Amino acid sequence: MVRLLLNGTPVDAPEGATLLQALRAHGLNVPTLCHDARMQPASACRLCEVEVDGQERPLCACATPVAEGMSVHTHGEALEGYRKGLIEMLARRYPGEIPALDPDHPFHRLLLHYQVPATGPWVPSKLDESHPYLRLDMNRCVDCYRCVHICEEVQGHSIWKVVGRGAEAHVEPGDAGRLLDSPCVSCGACADTCPTGAIQDWARYRHGTPITWTRSVCSYCGTGCELEIGSTSDRLVDIRPAQDAPVNRGHLCVKGRFGLGFNDAEDRVTSPMVRRGGEWEAVTWDEALDEAAALLLRVKEAHGPTAIGVLGSSRGTNEEAFLTQKLARVGLGTGNVDCCARVCHAPSAAGLGLALGTGAATNSFADIDLAALVMVVGANPTENHPIVGLRIKHRALKGMPLIVIDPRRTELAELATVHLRPRPGTNIPLFQALAHVIVNEGLYDHPFVAARTEGFEAYLASLQEWAPERAAATCGVDADDIRKAARLYATTGPAYMCNGLGVTEQVQGSDGILALVHLALLTGNLGKPGSGVNPLRGQNNVQGCAQMGCEPKRLTGYQPYDQVIAKHEALWGPLPPPGLDLLEMLDAAGEGRLRAMLVFGYDLYLTTANAHRTAAALAQLEGMVVVDLFMTETAKAFGTVFLPAASTFEKEGTFMNGERRVQRVRAAIAPRGQSRSDLDILLELAKRLGVGDQFQYHSPEDVWNEVRKLWTAVAGVAYHRLEHPGGLQWPCPDELHPGTSILHAKTFPVGDRAQFRPIAFHPSAEVVDEAFPFLLNTGRSLQHFNAGTMTVRTENTKLTRDDVLELNPADAAALGVLDDEEVTVESHHGAFQAHAHLTDRVRPGEPFGIFHSAKAFVNRAMGPGRDPKTHTPEFKRTAVRIRKMVQA
Amino acid sequence: MAIRTKHDPQSYTFAGFGSEKYPNLMLRGAGDLNNWTLDVYEQKHEGYVAMKQALKMEPVAVTEEVKTSGIRGRGGAGFPAGLKWSFMPKDTPERKITRYLVINGDEGEPGTFKDRAILEYNPHQLIEGCIIASYAMQANTCYVYIRGEFLWLIEKLELAIEQARAKGYLGKNILGSGFDLDIIVHRGAGAYICGEETALLNSLEGRRGEPRVKPPFPAAKGAFGQPTTINNVETIAAVPPIIRMGGAEYAKLGTTKNSGTRIFCISGHVKRPGLYELPLGLPLDFILNELAGGSSTGKKIKAVIPGGASAPVFSEAEFSTPMDFDSVRNAGSMAGSGGVIVLDEDTCMVQACLRLIRFYAHESCGQCTPCREGCNWMEMILHRIEHGEGTLEDLDVLASLTPRIAGRTLCALGDAACGPMESMLKKFRHEFEHHVTHKTCYVKGHELLAKVGAH
Repeated sequence: MVRLLLNGTPVDAPEGATLLQALRAHGLNVPTLCHDARMQPASACRLCEVEVDGQERPLCACATPVAEGMSVHTHGEALEGYRKGLIEMLARRYPGEIPALDPDHPFHRLLLHYQVPATGPWVPSKLDESHPYLRLDMNRCVDCYRCVHICEEVQGHSIWKVVGRGAEAHVEPGDAGRLLDSPCVSCGACADTCPTGAIQDWARYRHGTPITWTRSVCSYCGTGCELEIGSTSDRLVDIRPAQDAPVNRGHLCVKGRFGLGFNDAEDRVTSPMVRRGGEWEAVTWDEALDEAAALLLRVKEAHGPTAIGVLGSSRGTNEEAFLTQKLARVGLGTGNVDCCARVCHAPSAAGLGLALGTGAATNSFADIDLAALVMVVGANPTENHPIVGLRIKHRALKGMPLIVIDPRRTELAELATVHLRPRPGTNIPLFQALAHVIVNEGLYDHPFVAARTEGFEAYLASLQEWAPERAAATCGVDADDIRKAARLYATTGPAYMCNGLGVTEQVQGSDGILALVHLALLTGNLGKPGSGVNPLRGQNNVQGCAQMGCEPKRLTGYQPYDQVIAKHEALWGPLPPPGLDLLEMLDAAGEGRLRAMLVFGYDLYLTTANAHRTAAALAQLEGMVVVDLFMTETAKAFGTVFLPAASTFEKEGTFMNGERRVQRVRAAIAPRGQSRSDLDILLELAKRLGVGDQFQYHSPEDVWNEVRKLWTAVAGVAYHRLEHPGGLQWPCPDELHPGTSILHAKTFPVGDRAQFRPIAFHPSAEVVDEAFPFLLNTGRSLQHFNAGTMTVRTENTKLTRDDVLELNPADAAALGVLDDEEVTVESHHGAFQAHAHLTDRVRPGEPFGIFHSAKAFVNRAMGPGRDPKTHTPEFKRTAVRIRKMVQA
Repeated sequence: MAIRTKHDPQSYTFAGFGSEKYPNLMLRGAGDLNNWTLDVYEQKHEGYVAMKQALKMEPVAVTEEVKTSGIRGRGGAGFPAGLKWSFMPKDTPERKITRYLVINGDEGEPGTFKDRAILEYNPHQLIEGCIIASYAMQANTCYVYIRGEFLWLIEKLELAIEQARAKGYLGKNILGSGFDLDIIVHRGAGAYICGEETALLNSLEGRRGEPRVKPPFPAAKGAFGQPTTINNVETIAAVPPIIRMGGAEYAKLGTTKNSGTRIFCISGHVKRPGLYELPLGLPLDFILNELAGGSSTGKKIKAVIPGGASAPVFSEAEFSTPMDFDSVRNAGSMAGSGGVIVLDEDTCMVQACLRLIRFYAHESCGQCTPCREGCNWMEMILHRIEHGEGTLEDLDVLASLTPRIAGRTLCALGDAACGPMESMLKKFRHEFEHHVTHKTCYVKGHELLAKVGAH
């Protein structure tokens, strides 16, 4: 701490703080225009100049560090006169009519405060209304360049540029002219920081400043960004990043920041419905719930509880997921309960759980800042987990070595020190070859391997078949690049590894994760800051949903049956044995063994591979109860009862992000129409299934407290402790425990030593041949989320085309396909149509389909391949052929 | 030696040039277009002797020699060069540091045209200086940032660098000394602001040429985030003679604390405009009358800008000022870049002021509010006054603007604009008032546009 005098009053300020921080901390409001705490000080607007005794000239508080004994004067007559003089300079050219129209913006408040009239003109040519979320009125620009700096420093994009010099200097979005035509990723940071409304949200422009702000958590990916949700008389107006959130640090991506339009979409279903005579009919809640309960009870009666399958929603809260599995097991007596983790990171949870004992990320996003190297495997975080991607990008831009393993040249791959591009489906040889180099060159962490692992000898022997040259031939990667990457990873520690679905959605998904865990074990990259193996989880609460027990072979806390069944039965009574997972349920449905399903917030038809087979199976059900916001493809085709659910903005509870962080979700508005939260629906169903007495909860907190009893790792995560930014990361066994950001510091839950296991490579059955010469890979895009249920109902659709197939220009030329031309993609299993997007970020022969679109329905072409251990489908490798739609 | 910018039928010589009294250290051989080659430099001008000498010294000793010489930066600020060099962090056993030397050849100050003469006639002397300075600071890469308009000089310098490289003066292990150096020439793109050292660094890095927030200063975090020293072309060109003759001997030239020679660029209403390499401290009127031949128009000299366009103007009372850093500063101006602009009594100061302010308003990078808005505001007001539409309040606004700009910006461009503005308004206020009240030019008497209704 240093002591300084602020206008004569002694105060303490932390060392290293800027004078401006100290002034603000002590309530002294020195005006600023160019300052934003998220960025480096610019010292350009000069409004924060203050007088410091002993200094010849005033200093900018934003760029001056505090020093012991400093005596500062902030509001003397000369300074205030100077500030007014600066405002006068800007007001000369500022349009006169604007401040009164929009008085809330900081610059307009300054004009009012200093009583300076704006006298400049407004010209229509400076208006840009092209972008669906951002309205640009550059008449209002006061050249503070905050947009330029935040785009570069926070988003890492540099869309905004200063053009011209002197009084003609002005900002422009890229070289394109219009913002919409620029490579802008629509994170909205520029609008967030703009002090005049020159760049502002259309929502804000249309609806004004929100009256209420509610802190909550984003409902898109598993990063877990904290939001401030702005609303006015029960209307969602705006979403802003929470400035003090440890996860997103005052930043959001296009989905989290702007993707709220779905909430009031015209086709949102807000009344309960029952399908009668093939047609949907609106009914009362009682009728719908009775009908749902009757279906489930009838099937249970006739075919036994195992004929019912329940799917939890990884979009709902932990509390809802927990009650979903409890309803399945206690209310319906079936162990057939699963969630969409099955089709994404089930292999990550299984692989990490098997090897180390906890099926979750070993480290935290904050470790990216502490790592000496980052290795990104089969993930495209700048699009799919943009806030995590940015952290990696910022480090890489500052020189941190980066290894990217991805068939596509993603944004991060372009920044990578080494980019390995294996053919889809050849991860195992590549990972084993990396280990081969590390072991054979003696680069492994000998003390760590000796002290904390076992099974090294057998593992060592199993690696020998994958010399880099052999792997290189199988993977289509240069052997020297494998060596380079292996050496870099082994010798640059600590190394943070994160993986995505490029590893898991393979027929060797679980083995792929194991092989990655081995690499971390070999190099001692576990249990310390800046290291680890970290799956980037897909949905907001997919980690939570599986962790809450929506998982057929595990109970609450993803705990094995044998370990915790007694605890559960003591509380709940006798439980059914482990049941079927999603893929097994579909198999059972196809064979007539499964007769009814209860599905919470999950469009399984659209998103499960091999859609024709899915359809054939689901068509045989007697009935399906769908709880959702929209008539999803699943509901449309197979639903018999539809229960309208409340959205994330409309309910209370908690989410768990991909780094085991439990954070509070709060209702900003009331549920639309008649919709109800999943939690309400679960309680109503329980009543009708005759187990109402076991579902006596008065609030989500009540439910959570039961989770705390059943799963020690969150016993200390009490609701009242979740009020501060960032919530708590489990394990957190008691209420005094601060939470755990890094797992496995000393031991593993599996014991003192983690086990190396030999891995054999079983190649995919999807093989290219003359008839099907392409290997199709699939995934997501920045603008759209998963099934697209939410994002296709937002104006994100105006930012990018919906149904896209990335195709290498060489392939396109051979096929005679032009950019943006519609093509048909056929496999042995089915076909879909999409618009070709020609790009060399995919290699020849390896097109990439974006799967969110129901229009394209990419999963029609996906095959039956599954990871044998977790049954996660093989989304990442399908042999296909491509045809032009219209033959020339 | 004086380099003439105009052909003069009465060819001018001065006994002092090239003598012990007024030695030519940087302009040796200037005027001869073949002077630039390595052969001429080595054979006629003791080329690379100093380099060979320096490479046998300890790097610190080289810096000490430069400190002893007392040479102050010739770019404008006049900061002691040796001291600047000593700010560069040294390697530690734990950490080897990449350091850079950057040469500022973005000569853009109106009235200044000395660096281009060095590049034209003595590029090898600059290269030799770069090698010595880089060796002293243990920098293995030296960037020479040159104003883009000097395209032919850039080509010439690159040829000279090739000659030096062929001779083993550049590259790996220079003359077996174990010292490596490469010189990279970077071409500017026509922005005055890039002469400001941190804007220059941004430009060098491929960014927009905008001055940076200081601290961190370049010695801590300069080009590409590494410790960097930035020196003017003339400063570095002075280094070989300093090493050759010894710092103490060099310090005897000029006056105490203002040692050495510098190149004055004399332009405007004098008979013999041109470049004059002179020891520091000669009186301005001596230079103007005895060397440059006095007024070229027969009219009295009314004002002199003594150190490039940014320097506050001198009126007659200050003409006897000795031309060194401290004396000029004490007289209320600055020695700056050595550009001496002479204005006779027929020059309209309002018009001159508008010309200068228009330059600064145009060259402001636009980053700081006071400079961007203030310079533009001054230009607009001056434009009004020059065209007969000014008011007396305008003069008050002008006077109120300079304290809002000077010293309140990230770099010195704001100050640079205020120097001429403030001094001209103060010393020649009657001319401005005359424009406002009479709607005619005080000097020329003609009617201003507003009065003749020409707008």
